[in-house]
Amino acid sequence: MDELLNALLRALAFGTPLLLASLGAVINERAGVVNLGVEGMMALGALAGFAVAYGDGSPGSGSIALGIVAAMAAGGLAALLHAFITITLRANQFVSGLSLTLLGLGVAGLLGKKYEGFPLFGQPNQWPFTIGAIVLALLLAFWLTSTRAGLTLRSVGENPAAADVLGLNVNLIRYGAVAFGGALAGLAGAYLSLVYRPSWTDGMTAGLGWIAVALVIFVGWNPLRAIFGSVFFGLLYYLQFRLQGKTFIPTEFFAAMPYLLVIVVLAFAGLRGQQGAAPEALGRPYTRGER
Amino acid sequence: MSKITKLLALALALTAAATTQAGAQDAKLKACFIYVGPTGDIGWSYAHDQGRKAAEKALPWLETQYVESVPEGQALPVIDRLAKNGCQVIFTTSFGYMDDTLAAAKKYPNIIFAHNAGFKRNANMATYMADFYQVYYLNGLAAGALSKSGKVGFVGTYPIPELKRHLSAFALGVKAANPKASVNVKWINSWFDPAKTREASEALLSEGADVLTSAEDSATGVQTAGAKNIPTFSHYNPMLKFSPSNVVSGHIVHWDKIYIDFLTKVHNGTYTTKNLANVDYWWLLSKGAVEMGADMNMPFTVKFAAQLKAAKMMVGGKSVSVYDRITALNAQMKKGESFDPFTGPVKDRNGVLRVPAGKTMSIGDLNNMSWVAPGVVGQVADEPKK
Repeated sequence: MDELLNALLRALAFGTPLLLASLGAVINERAGVVNLGVEGMMALGALAGFAVAYGDGSPGSGSIALGIVAAMAAGGLAALLHAFITITLRANQFVSGLSLTLLGLGVAGLLGKKYEGFPLFGQPNQWPFTIGAIVLALLLAFWLTSTRAGLTLRSVGENPAAADVLGLNVNLIRYGAVAFGGALAGLAGAYLSLVYRPSWTDGMTAGLGWIAVALVIFVGWNPLRAIFGSVFFGLLYYLQFRLQGKTFIPTEFFAAMPYLLVIVVLAFAGLRGQQGAAPEALGRPYTRGER
Repeated sequence: MSKITKLLALALALTAAATTQAGAQDAKLKACFIYVGPTGDIGWSYAHDQGRKAAEKALPWLETQYVESVPEGQALPVIDRLAKNGCQVIFTTSFGYMDDTLAAAKKYPNIIFAHNAGFKRNANMATYMADFYQVYYLNGLAAGALSKSGKVGFVGTYPIPELKRHLSAFALGVKAANPKASVNVKWINSWFDPAKTREASEALLSEGADVLTSAEDSATGVQTAGAKNIPTFSHYNPMLKFSPSNVVSGHIVHWDKIYIDFLTKVHNGTYTTKNLANVDYWWLLSKGAVEMGADMNMPFTVKFAAQLKAAKMMVGGKSVSVYDRITALNAQMKKGESFDPFTGPVKDRNGVLRVPAGKTMSIGDLNNMSWVAPGVVGQVADEPKK
């Protein structure tokens, strides 16, 4: 029983940044914009959060609350760059997102040099983040399905031309959704550098952003399912170590499972002759008058 | 002129400027370093970079350059670039660079290479290692004495000879101080991955470990132990500040000792591109290349020194305090006297005799070690059955 509880607690601890980042990505993808830059935005958020929370290292010189704000701002600003390139300049979203990952990791590594090697003391408790992420998932699920604003966002991702005809500002809504996605990726980064492992090191995101990207597809762009998906992925991550040498299944299999599951989900959707729950206009820049 | 041509012209001009600059500094010896992780990992690569900086400070005729976070197996293009930049000595500081370094040594016969932690050499390629196995044994004694549950957790990186050697020395120490104890190991198959280290640590704790050591290149293991308030150890660098009330001791490296010695011998002509085939630095406590400590010159933290003084263990039929035993062995090994953790008879955990009575292991044996010592619990890859 203790074992089960402990595994669940680890799943929640590791799943929290996955849930935060994937909720952000669900929103920008529901508005029709893919952003593969999650890993880079997470790294920028982790650094900004740590830098502001740490201050100059003396007690009271930093602020956890401001650190969280700074992390979200850093992620949001990085996402706006992606928005400008893909929405205004209509560049390929996948290429821009990949570049953003490389750029974010590089810039964070460069600017973060002087913060390496220092622990953050007085780190915040995990639970406000974990519970906050779950509540946010519930709110977003309700917002997407049951409010006019949520419907507006979805319409921009499903049929931007129709939304445009209705007088909605497609590009502005997409900008907002991408910035929101970036802010949540930044918040996930702050969780890593303030709570999960309270310090900053170049490369500390170590691929978590990519798991979040995979999670979005796995949960079918649904914020409610993202809760279970992130806990499930967190559980797999923990079990690869807990069950190491204790099962006949190689534990590398657990580590690879998130990606395998995404392929399975995509394959099933393909078999049913659809692209799954993916928004219709996902990945396509909108140009008025083009079909 | 199009934009692209302009850019090209600018790039060419810059390259020319850089080349001229390099030419002006010919009097200096240029040593270059390739690191597997970020210099800020506070572990392996950070320690190498500290060594580089110390060497540059100590040797006025030395100039250095480094490239960090180079994945293993991708060192060759980086070496090509460093060769073009006029590097005369190139240090490749990870086991996985071994074959790339050898290939580069054959491609660039006029450059001196030194590969860290491997065993392949060439006329212009030496090997070097500051090894921790003695220090791991000493820390194992402390870990065994401090564990109440009898389970000591060990986060391993890759199950290669280096790690098996350290894990085994650690386990022999744990069992010497606490014959009923075991060392539980979890592998993360990465040199640097804070998230994996965190969850592997958590898995060890949930299996009952109440002392934790991590071989990963960040302070994550120490921080996780700190969050659970259990004893832990610095790894490669002083990590005391990451958890001041939980670090017992640790394994600290001084790469600068090797870098200064090696580069001085290159500078004065002792080492050339022709005579390195048998140059293998294998520096231990006696050379000061490694140190047992929570921090520099701090073998134990005060709190744990008291606990280890109170803990007793049997040595040759007599009861001695663990603190005294560690201190005595540390002093012996620093002087280069006869004690060695792998003095036979040593059996592996399957009961096969690996080191006959009265014998010790050669450097070659230590570098090819595939078995692990009794007391190690958990999956270990490539373990010989007989």
